[in-house]
Amino acid sequence: MGKKRRHPDIEEVLARPWCYYCERDFDDLKILISHQKAKHFKCERCGRRLNTAGGLAVHLNQVHKETLNAVDNSLPNRQGLEVEIFGMEGIPDDVRQQHDQRVTQQYYEALAERQAATGNPTPGVSGIANASKKTKLDDPQDLKARLAAFKAKKAAGATGNGSGNATPNSATQQLQSPAMAPLPMAGSPVQAFPPGGQASPLPPPGAMNPYAAPYPPPTGYGPPGYPVPGAAFPNYPGQLPYQPPYQGSQPVEMEAFNTAPPGFPTNGQAPPGAPPGAAPGAPGLPSRPAFSAPPVNPAQFQQMHHSQGAAPPGADGSPVNATSIDDLIASASKNASATVDTTVAAPEKKGKKDKDKDKTVKLLYDDVESPEAKMARSSRYAFTPDRTKSAAVA
Amino acid sequence: MSQFELPDPPNDGITAVKFAPNSSNRLLVSSWDSNVYFYDTTPDEAKLLQKFESRAAVLDVTFGRNDNEAFAGGLDWDVRRIDLESGEQTVISEHNAPVNCVAYSSETNILVSASFDSTLHIHIIEGAKATSVSTIQLPHKAYSISLSPSKLVVAMANRAVYIYDIKTLKDATYRSQTPQSTINVEPWQQRESSMKFQIRAVACMPNDSGYASSSIEGRIAVEWFDPSDESQKRKYAFKCHRSIVENENTDYVYPVHALAFHPVFGTFASGGGDGVVAVWDGSAKRRIKQYTKFGLGVSAIGFSPDGAFLAIGVSPGLESEHDDGIPVEEGQVKIVVRQLAEEEVKGKGKDSKKK
Repeated sequence: MGKKRRHPDIEEVLARPWCYYCERDFDDLKILISHQKAKHFKCERCGRRLNTAGGLAVHLNQVHKETLNAVDNSLPNRQGLEVEIFGMEGIPDDVRQQHDQRVTQQYYEALAERQAATGNPTPGVSGIANASKKTKLDDPQDLKARLAAFKAKKAAGATGNGSGNATPNSATQQLQSPAMAPLPMAGSPVQAFPPGGQASPLPPPGAMNPYAAPYPPPTGYGPPGYPVPGAAFPNYPGQLPYQPPYQGSQPVEMEAFNTAPPGFPTNGQAPPGAPPGAAPGAPGLPSRPAFSAPPVNPAQFQQMHHSQGAAPPGADGSPVNATSIDDLIASASKNASATVDTTVAAPEKKGKKDKDKDKTVKLLYDDVESPEAKMARSSRYAFTPDRTKSAAVA
Repeated sequence: MSQFELPDPPNDGITAVKFAPNSSNRLLVSSWDSNVYFYDTTPDEAKLLQKFESRAAVLDVTFGRNDNEAFAGGLDWDVRRIDLESGEQTVISEHNAPVNCVAYSSETNILVSASFDSTLHIHIIEGAKATSVSTIQLPHKAYSISLSPSKLVVAMANRAVYIYDIKTLKDATYRSQTPQSTINVEPWQQRESSMKFQIRAVACMPNDSGYASSSIEGRIAVEWFDPSDESQKRKYAFKCHRSIVENENTDYVYPVHALAFHPVFGTFASGGGDGVVAVWDGSAKRRIKQYTKFGLGVSAIGFSPDGAFLAIGVSPGLESEHDDGIPVEEGQVKIVVRQLAEEEVKGKGKDSKKK
């Protein structure tokens, strides 16, 4: 391509080197490394720029007899010294995944915005068209299935189209995700970025086709069933070979909907109010490991666990007591905002999601009284002034 | 930059460290050992200037209008004025329970004290005397108070926060007839803490626009006075003073005992039960600096008026059970004075450029 494109495509954006400690991205790996040396690995005592946090720790220890507790100028959840970072090396997989996820999401948000502003078609459209070209070679059965699916979607006034991923909180988006996940199975290995690629804000009708491709001509679960998100699952028994890729992509999908508790999508099936954990009741279905996550996300658990007498645990935010999907969404977002960890801590929630499950949080001080009030009563400090002379004051 | 320990530290936990309003080398320290300490903190010449004894533990101390006047309160239920030159102490008001906070407003010359009797005393200081004293009944015990140029923030038990307008308090105190009579002053704002746990400390921004509060559960919230939705949306909270022990799979969460705003750059420092002090840029939502562990726990911190020094009071055991008080060993209680380089405390945001 001779002309320089003003807007890089998603691959280029994802390929940009970025800094683990502050999530900034750079044009070039060299610049990233010099950024890290200047911002995160610089010795505050003598100005020496070390190559890694470990190197700085050793330097501080040997030269200045100090210990390094945390990396300077870093996001609160990235201060640790446990990970050895050099440029892009050493970034833990989960952190990298989150970053890609975030970048992808931002990319498509920007894309949708630009599209709305300019009216230009997405560069991605051609890619999707190619994908559908490939699937055109599929047998007529597939075509029928696709047609059925498409009709069903239309009939149900499927809201999926164009909802984009800019609104991870919207119910449609939630419900759509299970249906989208099968795309990688559609035999298009081109999908280097399954979540982002599929979450493309404007899948033209043709783009919907791949979703249906893997399903055999629906029998019991005809068109009417399809739009019900949960109904996507009944197809699975016949589709066992597809399960592994589905599982594989699921966690990534979930990450995008950070504000909703894991297992949220199952609420399309579960009667509202019932603990989503009870959902896998459908007889004859294979187990759905991806959905066996606890119905309450760790942040909520923590909230419930920590909430003091004022708010009875679970009463104000637990999906267990919620009565409708709307409530669930409201409570999920409420809880998300209740933690008030805004930009600084947002990535942290994602990253620790899995770890937090089995982590114990130990409060070093947990009392409704202040330490001073408690200590003031102890025998050592006990003192009662003689107030006989000033009793009138009291 | 350098840091050093002050000689002759208190024998028991430190409750407050306060620099003088006009000189950056005069420091007051109050302690559970019933004394108020007055130090010269000039680097390399630091020494204890004087020690003022009290009948019971001193929970807070503050300078008054100048570098020769101090006010202290403690377990003897009294609010006392200390003349730092003559050493003379005078009781200016009496609470009905231990006094845990004192704060002096140099703009209005009033002294506010808070006590476990769930009251505030407002003293109008003229000369060496409190000419008028009034009492304000609070719904709960105040755990921490802080003054900005125009506001008084009172952080109480049950996560309640009252914000008073100082002028209103002063006017009402003037009008009160009998000394120490209870006056009814509606708070300018009533809020609930944005953190789920008990508030531990509160500190006002020097530019009079808001305050930071900390909780016993390793968290700090930053919010603004302006009640408009726009300003209220800016408030946020974040986790800090925690240590994750990977092999135990445990996240140890420490109380954040102390908060202090930098008088020049508007950044703030926090001191926690983990013995760590961190400096935060509240507008950029970044941590600027975290210092190596100072010891068992940081119970008090204070910036000098020019912002060139940070005093850190280190004491053991505020977190644990203490039926017999804190077991203190030699060397555990100390006051560290750190000489600050500008980049340690200067934020990047536009706020810091103002001055």
